Amino acid sequence: MKIQTVNKDNIRYKCLGWLIVSAAIVTLTGCSKSNAVDQSAVSAGQLLAEKGRGTTVPGCVACHGAHGEGIEAAGYPRLAGLDSSYIEKQLKDLARELPPAGVVIESVAKDYSKTPRLYSDLTVFSPGLRHDDIMSPIAKQLSETDIHNLAAYFAGLSYTAKPVAADFQVLERGQDLALRGKAEYGLPACVSCHAPDGEGFGADFPPLAGQPASYTVNQINKWQLGQRDNDNLGLMKAVSDQLTDADKLNVAAYYANRSLAVKGQ
Amino acid sequence: MKKLVFLFIAGTLNIGNAAELTQTEVRVDAHDARASIPTSLTREKAIRQIPAISPGEYFVPPDVGDIPTSKYGDMVKLGRNIFIDTQHYAKRYVGNGLNCSNCHLQEGRKAYAAPLWAAYPMYPEFRNKIRDVVTFEARVQDCFRFSMNGIAPTLDSPEIKAITSYAHWLSTGAPFNKELPGRGFARLGKPRDPTPINGEKLYKESCASCHSLDGQGQKFTNRDGYMFPPLWGKDSFNHGAGMSSVKSCAQFSKANMPLGKGWTLTDMEAWDICTYIWLQDRPWDPRFGWFFNIFAPPTGGN
Repeated sequence: MKIQTVNKDNIRYKCLGWLIVSAAIVTLTGCSKSNAVDQSAVSAGQLLAEKGRGTTVPGCVACHGAHGEGIEAAGYPRLAGLDSSYIEKQLKDLARELPPAGVVIESVAKDYSKTPRLYSDLTVFSPGLRHDDIMSPIAKQLSETDIHNLAAYFAGLSYTAKPVAADFQVLERGQDLALRGKAEYGLPACVSCHAPDGEGFGADFPPLAGQPASYTVNQINKWQLGQRDNDNLGLMKAVSDQLTDADKLNVAAYYANRSLAVKGQ
Repeated sequence: MKKLVFLFIAGTLNIGNAAELTQTEVRVDAHDARASIPTSLTREKAIRQIPAISPGEYFVPPDVGDIPTSKYGDMVKLGRNIFIDTQHYAKRYVGNGLNCSNCHLQEGRKAYAAPLWAAYPMYPEFRNKIRDVVTFEARVQDCFRFSMNGIAPTLDSPEIKAITSYAHWLSTGAPFNKELPGRGFARLGKPRDPTPINGEKLYKESCASCHSLDGQGQKFTNRDGYMFPPLWGKDSFNHGAGMSSVKSCAQFSKANMPLGKGWTLTDMEAWDICTYIWLQDRPWDPRFGWFFNIFAPPTGGN
């Protein structure tokens, strides 16, 4: 018979050894951790966000709030504290022209004789498509550098949510969907990708907490209508297709009701 | 063995005969269509049928709000807590970074993700793995030992009692000793032998964005634990776990992965991906000593 024990001493000695080695390396090489955020990009982004440029690009602060907090009543989303690559991707997708209706996009060139047939990691990227009547014309005026600067600026802003009151039954149902999903229909919970407090995770999963309820509902509507198609692996498309109108309202109200404090990156 | 020798000789003879090829040509015998054509573009995927679940198709367990306020209800609540946050509530028995609900999705409620409501009424049951009849409690012990890569709680421990109570409560109204639809994992066909070469490509395409390229999952930046669970490596389940067998993994992935887009992988894609995952390094099988763990092939490969 085998009795299982955790040999903690052994692990401790190993840890101690590694500690000594790593301490030696740190003292020899010096601790040089480079700061990833480019300060010049942030200040350029701030200038563009506050002042805009000419008549074509209005300042972001006009709709997204002085500190990127969004406008609840109008449904303009908050940008403060979002992942910088997420903001970059959204702006690029908004700037992209929608394909004319009825056109089929060939992902791979049809003339196979011109394509080398031995390739190791072919990945097919869908061009992320997202359209908004207000934002798309503005995004088209932004250069790649502008987009990078704006993303760096807004990602660095801190944000504290102001919870919006809602009916308790709405909140309860929203919470049920957000934390547990609908297991009997195979619909996963919001928190399983958007992080336990809805604070978002990484570049693919944006925060839900602190976003205006009308914005959240609007985006899910767009997914259902096929007007937004730029999500990772089409996950949100698949989830949106399963949401009823009541689900959208409930869960959006729940996340607008959450308190959240985000420290800029 | 004779066959192998013959193949080897045939192979060495063949080297001299290889004809000159241009850069865009591929030798017919070297070209493996299944490894190089992106499956996301094949017609099979475009016409793939994703089953819509009609109401009443699967058993619906009681709502969380309906847990009774009693001693029994407290135990059920503790069991639920252990189930969804094993890292906290059963910390001493867990040796990796997983929670029960990482595989038993949605608090053990989701059909074809080994739901508790379908499992609990079936026990005691004969298990091929240990060739004996096991009770539900003993089955949960095995989960801790293999899937959680930890130490089995004793049969009289509060953890086992709580998880059993939770499963008991989830099965409220379920028929006793009757196989329910949605039990265990999905049933798969196997059109050909799986290949990890295709699996690696598919993994990078559709799994890596959450479970990360090195399969170590993704940790929270603002709290302890994993946002997306590790599929291999030291914080994952060990080689003795059910999910470590290619079959169970493929059956699970088919119905549930990518999360929210179940049934979109073909059977063969699920087999391929799981063969790739099975080949990776993970904690040793606790049933064997170091010799077998190093020199014997890990179980669950077929």
